[in-house]
Amino acid sequence: MFWQKDIELMDREEIRNVQLDFINKEIKIAKKSEFYKNKLSNIDKISSLDDVKKLPFTTKDDLRNSFPYGFLATDLKNVIRLHSSSGTTGNPTVVFHTAFDISNWANLSARCMYTAGARNNDIFQNTMGYGLFTGGIGFHYGAEKLGMLTIPVGPGNSKRQVWFMQNFKTSVIHILPSYALRLFQTVEEMKIDVKKDLNLRIAFIGAEPHSEEMRKKIEELYNIKAFNSYGLSEISGPGVAFECQCQSGLHIWEDYVYPEIVDRNTLEVLPDGQEGELVLTTLQREAMPLIRYRTRDLTKIITEPCACGRTHRRIARITARTDDMIIINGVNIFPIQIEKTIMSIPEAGRNYVIEIFENNFMDKLCIKLEIDNDNFGGTLQDLEKLQNKLENELKQEIGVTPIIKFVDAGSLPVSEGKVKRVFDLRNKNK
Amino acid sequence: MAYHLSVFLENNPGKLQRITKILSDNNINLRAMSLASSGEFGVMKLLVDNPEKTFEVLKQNKLTVTKRQITAVVVDNIPGSFNLLLNKLSQNDINIEDCYGFLLSDGKTAAIILEIENHPNAEQLLSGLGFNVLTAEKIYKY
Repeated sequence: MFWQKDIELMDREEIRNVQLDFINKEIKIAKKSEFYKNKLSNIDKISSLDDVKKLPFTTKDDLRNSFPYGFLATDLKNVIRLHSSSGTTGNPTVVFHTAFDISNWANLSARCMYTAGARNNDIFQNTMGYGLFTGGIGFHYGAEKLGMLTIPVGPGNSKRQVWFMQNFKTSVIHILPSYALRLFQTVEEMKIDVKKDLNLRIAFIGAEPHSEEMRKKIEELYNIKAFNSYGLSEISGPGVAFECQCQSGLHIWEDYVYPEIVDRNTLEVLPDGQEGELVLTTLQREAMPLIRYRTRDLTKIITEPCACGRTHRRIARITARTDDMIIINGVNIFPIQIEKTIMSIPEAGRNYVIEIFENNFMDKLCIKLEIDNDNFGGTLQDLEKLQNKLENELKQEIGVTPIIKFVDAGSLPVSEGKVKRVFDLRNKNK
Repeated sequence: MAYHLSVFLENNPGKLQRITKILSDNNINLRAMSLASSGEFGVMKLLVDNPEKTFEVLKQNKLTVTKRQITAVVVDNIPGSFNLLLNKLSQNDINIEDCYGFLLSDGKTAAIILEIENHPNAEQLLSGLGFNVLTAEKIYKY
């Protein structure tokens, strides 16, 4: 049942004691870095967890501005790896790891996978990208630590993915939710029967915010259980929080991070149960501790005990990342609301993009949806009916009437990594 | 059972020609067609000499295509004959989803292609009423 029973079932008071201890250690290490030397110049330690809120926040911009080594808190001889964002919009955010950090992260990933039900006799196919992106390598190390037969296929080449799944009887897969849907088209093209020809039982889906409707769709298509994985490269990568077999919120590993939820505008700490921005303080990082890092992810803390018995509290499915918010004629919209609505209409296609443009000084929201062989009945009436249904249900969900455009199957851009669905074509220079 | 093919297409320059090129390259003869558009997108119905092969090649070319069952009735090429057919259909409460026609090579008769909604016995019924209902083979090769 448990990967580390003593830690996973630790009582709340003990967790809090451990956290206070760890935070003070992290402050001490952090102060060796250029950034925190200044930022924490008048703080040496805190005497209770209530004082965490007195510590300063750290933001993504801080990471960018301290490029390349401003956050490094240990001697270079102890650092064995870096991961980095793509840096398409400025300096990349770079994260450093010591051997201890890597081994800790691997253990945490293993704990996540074990929690979801993976065991050492499983065959694990990792379709996430390897390299600077943390998704692939993070789970690779975890899977090996857990003892699974690990197949490091990496992303893309759908036919080969299915070939491996079929021939090696892959039972556990790590996959982007958008790719899981796309891969299924190949499964169908290859005339593979998921029940007879495959041995898949578990998928770990993460790295993209996704809706409950999308999870259900993936579970249905492949006849498996799909578990939501949460992590961010700034903290280490995947493994920060994970769903147990109850599939009702993600246990955030409180021996690894100290979570807070803050109001997005006032930055005041919110009581448990209220939705706000997730703020994380690392508890065991050596190369690069982060104090009160603003994740920009919106969620809430679930305090009710979980049926699985783990005492680490849960966070709700991430409802949105604040960076993703689109403002259309003054209305705030999160792309996940659009996804949720599309996924809840069975006859709607799975591949879509969102375009925002300006027409006559008004913002317009256009959703382009591929019509493929699974959702094409062959009549114009059906298509018009679907168009109206999408328009009405999206209007209800987001408060803006979208333009629905149907496009040829395969005509929307396909990306190998995280899928890019939102294209803002408005002129930002005005 | 006879079929024609229903293809989704965006209403943009070149989209229709993409389909006709595939037919041409694969030596498929287009016997008749109809096109319905909803402004930005539309649906094309294709009656071809080899629907199975056409279905496969269109799919291979990543087009969105589905097979739909049709009934083909031969009517005389004289005023009022189509009206007679429709009259019988409506009397028997048979609804048409889609319909188009083409003149047969004798010049004296025409084939009417009907997509009939929710009425599995329509062919029998029409034969019983004295209409000349074409077999699949005849529709494709007539």
